[in-house]
Amino acid sequence: MKNFFRKVAFGLKPEEKAPSDPLTWAQKQVETIPELNWKGKHIYSEKEMRKYWITQRVEENTTLRKKYKNDPEGLRRAEHKLEADTGKHLWPANELCIRHSEGLRSDHPVLAKLWYFWGNHFTISDTQTLGSYSTGAYQREFLRANMDKNFETMATEATLAWPMIMHLDNKDNIGPKSISGREEWRRREKEPATINENHARELMELHTISPDGGYTQEDVIELAKIMTGWRPKWSKRKDHGSDVKFDSERHEPGKKIVLGKEYKKGKKGITLAIKDLVNHPSCREFIATKLCRYLITDEPTPQMIAPVIKAWEKSDGFLPEVHKAAIKAAFEYNDKYRKFQNPENWWLTTINMSGSTYSYPAKEKLIDSHPLGIKPFGEISDQAWFLEDLGCHPYRQKQPNGFSDFEKDWLSTELIIRRIMFAKTAFHKYNVKDQIDENIHEKIILNNFDNPDKILKIVSKAKTNEEKHIILFNLPEVLKA
Amino acid sequence: MKISRRDFLKGTATSLFLAGFNFPVLASTSKKKNLIVIMLRGGMDGLCAVPVIGDKRFEKIRKGILIENPMKLDSDFALHPKLKGFSECWHDNTGAIVHATSIPYTARSHFEGQNLMESGGRVPYQEKTGWLGRGMKLANLKGEGLALSLPMPLLLRGVPKNDNYYPADGRLPREETLELLKSVYADSSEEELLDMINFIKKRKNEQMGTGHSYDKRNNKNLAWKAGQLLSNPNGPRVAVFEVNGFDTHAAQGGIDGTHTRCLVEMDTIIQNLKISRTAYANSIILTVTEFGRTIKKNGGNGTEHGYGTAVFLAGGLVKKSQVHTDWPGLKRKEMYEGRDLNATIDARSVYASAMSTVFDLDFKRIQKDVFWGEDLQNLSDKLFKA
Repeated sequence: MKNFFRKVAFGLKPEEKAPSDPLTWAQKQVETIPELNWKGKHIYSEKEMRKYWITQRVEENTTLRKKYKNDPEGLRRAEHKLEADTGKHLWPANELCIRHSEGLRSDHPVLAKLWYFWGNHFTISDTQTLGSYSTGAYQREFLRANMDKNFETMATEATLAWPMIMHLDNKDNIGPKSISGREEWRRREKEPATINENHARELMELHTISPDGGYTQEDVIELAKIMTGWRPKWSKRKDHGSDVKFDSERHEPGKKIVLGKEYKKGKKGITLAIKDLVNHPSCREFIATKLCRYLITDEPTPQMIAPVIKAWEKSDGFLPEVHKAAIKAAFEYNDKYRKFQNPENWWLTTINMSGSTYSYPAKEKLIDSHPLGIKPFGEISDQAWFLEDLGCHPYRQKQPNGFSDFEKDWLSTELIIRRIMFAKTAFHKYNVKDQIDENIHEKIILNNFDNPDKILKIVSKAKTNEEKHIILFNLPEVLKA
Repeated sequence: MKISRRDFLKGTATSLFLAGFNFPVLASTSKKKNLIVIMLRGGMDGLCAVPVIGDKRFEKIRKGILIENPMKLDSDFALHPKLKGFSECWHDNTGAIVHATSIPYTARSHFEGQNLMESGGRVPYQEKTGWLGRGMKLANLKGEGLALSLPMPLLLRGVPKNDNYYPADGRLPREETLELLKSVYADSSEEELLDMINFIKKRKNEQMGTGHSYDKRNNKNLAWKAGQLLSNPNGPRVAVFEVNGFDTHAAQGGIDGTHTRCLVEMDTIIQNLKISRTAYANSIILTVTEFGRTIKKNGGNGTEHGYGTAVFLAGGLVKKSQVHTDWPGLKRKEMYEGRDLNATIDARSVYASAMSTVFDLDFKRIQKDVFWGEDLQNLSDKLFKA
């Protein structure tokens, strides 16, 4: 049973009392979206963060490149200065603190673990420096804030969010027959308006119905046409940093047919198309499978996902109900399946079970007092560095399909070395009192395992407290939950 | 001289250098052949690395970032003078270049282009595996891939049990700790974890150095290490490197510019792989990039995203030193969209030919099973030793 706390959350702290009804404890956490646990002053909206992105972008592309055109060394220095001034390294550290406080210091770690799931489902990949300025805020504003709504709301808002439009190139998706597409200068300058299918494809493949939905290349192109015109306007002063708006002059005229259904031209097309996609049977099956894969096993069975699909159907994709059903499945299959945890979730489990959450993530005071203009160092820069070195910085996914949910992709030599090294790092997050506490591992083990004697026996073979930490957090019982 | 497409002979070999300079083919105890791919991220400028000689128009529009005193390779092409490692390969007849080549991608997005240079497809993000991974699967090379990076690159996906090498910070724990973990994994029948702890135990000593992880992780050291691993008859047969930073929109610079620095990093990988002579003698090293760069420099003395570029080939399995190309010319109408070096050879023909040579697979099978039967040229005989 104790494994369930690692499966849907990050285990129990050494002093934490185990909830008497774990299933209810977990399900209650996903009913509402509480305020963030983090009390720092830098909690900005995606739009507020965009101004730093704009400054960085515009300064770099115009001013610096001209000023240092014959001075590569000078350019590099000026770029580093600009990065520090716009908080390129401070903001992701700040966002990681917000993110990890939810998992480690809040009373709703289950909600946090599911939030991380959605961040990866609606990935913003690491391009155009979005990860440095925007991704964290986007995950709070468009994903977490919509976890008490229908999937349709989350999908619509994520699709039209500025970082999503940017990283999937919908800004370049322009109707060839649109007003803009027919303009004379395009012929003259050889810049024809073209459909960019990227976003449309990922909306179907990764975000809603998956390839099982049976769409064709023609459907992708038609959906892309529906999406033409949704973009931020470019300006010299803001680059592509303006709000995403529907630009009817770039919208492809005419009817479009996606999966056999007709959509009229215009602004409403995309929301109608998303409505149909999220109501497609393949969408609920795909999301249910992914949720069970994340929480339970690489290959969820039809019986496993059936109640999640049913909850979706009954509630019209109301996410709290869908989440509760997935949690229930995780509860029922708790003894049968153990899932190898991804590096971030393992790291949070290690910190949480250790009880060293007083020192990780860094404190509000520390982050808030760090001035722009100075590149973060020490504990602040560690936040991002740890995740990067563990191999899964959540704002730095290489591909739009995010990090893998499959165990095999997390089992590589270097990644296992990282677990060993980081169990040691976690030990040194303790203050001295805990480091020399001879009973610390006994407390952790008694509170977190149904078979504490067996675990205690293994761990007692280690000579030092540091070594006990390494062994304990690399036991199959902790690596897999 | 101005070469145009018409009068150009494919593969201008440099027989001049070759007499008596054949690379010593070492009597290898094993016939293990290796393929090493260096991914050049950001768009490598083939005309900075391997400039064309005597094209007045080229010299004019590149003024300010033109590489001075390049090393003459043949009557038509020269080599960036800072590429010392590759020039040695050229002199010992194990270095070649394929010029005016690219993956068939012309939309100039790094993001899409890098995805395609790894997946080998035509539609960005459509494929979830890499051409190298699929090729290895076809050759049944499980557990023989090595990435010199932390995440597994897309390029290698498609075949299970790849290894990676990218040293972590700090020291591994003492032998007894690893031994204890090993016994726990053995007792609980955790086969995969057991495999890995065995890998890790072998690495123990090298982790004990006091060098900063930054040094351990630079490409120079990774290449030296990869050379050693590739030399082992039971070691990996495929290795993948990454060099970042080729996207020089500004201050691309000449001989000391940013682009040069990236090219030198690539060169260092070749140089350090070559230290392991047996492995080198039985290897093909090849570079991939998402696109080349515009011929014309921009207002910031940089270049924009282009199309055609060059592929570097090195290793004992390279047939001879040559610049293999079907040169399209650099007149306005000869260029792609009037601005980029055109690509006359699908770079995937080079990739498929290299895999055919190293993996001993029929080219047609690779063409069919790895590249969906696309129209690729078999260049194996021209570029590589059988």
